[in-house]
Amino acid sequence: MKRTMTLNLTEAEMNAVEQMCEQKGLSKTALVRQSLRLYKSVDDRFSRGDRVFVESADKSEKAELMVL
Amino acid sequence: MKQLVDQVLLKNRVTGEFEVAELCHGIDETNLSHIEGRWRPMFELRRAQAKASGESMSDINAEDGHWNWGSKVLAAISDPFLYDIFALECGGNTQALLLTCKGSTDCFSRHPEHPKADMVYVEFLATAPWNRPRLVAEPIYKGAGRVLIGTAVSLSLGEEFGGRIGLHSLLGSEKFYRDAIGMTDLGVDVDGPHKGLRYFELPESQVTDFLTIQH
Repeated sequence: MKRTMTLNLTEAEMNAVEQMCEQKGLSKTALVRQSLRLYKSVDDRFSRGDRVFVESADKSEKAELMVL
Repeated sequence: MKQLVDQVLLKNRVTGEFEVAELCHGIDETNLSHIEGRWRPMFELRRAQAKASGESMSDINAEDGHWNWGSKVLAAISDPFLYDIFALECGGNTQALLLTCKGSTDCFSRHPEHPKADMVYVEFLATAPWNRPRLVAEPIYKGAGRVLIGTAVSLSLGEEFGGRIGLHSLLGSEKFYRDAIGMTDLGVDVDGPHKGLRYFELPESQVTDFLTIQH
């Protein structure tokens, strides 16, 4: 069963949502769903004590991802 | 919780007749008991026979026969946010299982047609041992694997991923994914968690063909 929610976003936030929907070919619902999955999967890793790193394309920089 | 999703037809190769199979979202203790009590003994018997005759697990189509299905399934059930599990039942038996993921690092396409696009990743797909050519002399049901690949494609469509799916194949199944399903062979992973396994994708451009061609 699916449930409905209303989301209040700023102009900038809504612009970002619409831009990503366009890029990804997803509806707003699908985009939020995927974002939540990604957020949760990263958060689960943090909860287990794992660390997440982001590496630049040329591998010259590597930064630890921090989630507030 | 197990829910009936659809009814499909599977061809019984022994009788030549089509039989109604039930596709379920989720599995229950009955499915697990089939796997432990019916699948596993058959795999173990054939593995022992193969070992004695010098055949590889790939030769007998049983590379996944040692998998701990129960633990994989329980891990999936505990995280319904990311995983979906499906069972195909026919003739009072579990004929095939599918586990998919829709939100991990494996869920981004590598296909040149749509790099990094979201997709459904097939964690595992397994058919019952008695349905496998090479594992048994007279396999029973034909088409169980194809039905479950179609299920993954449907899930991908429902998630607005365009029907895109990806998976890593065991050696003995590569031909099935490449030739029978029409997936794109994107080579063998040289590192990472799937190192040594060949990676396949069904790109969006092939989804319509896959869904419309009669097999």
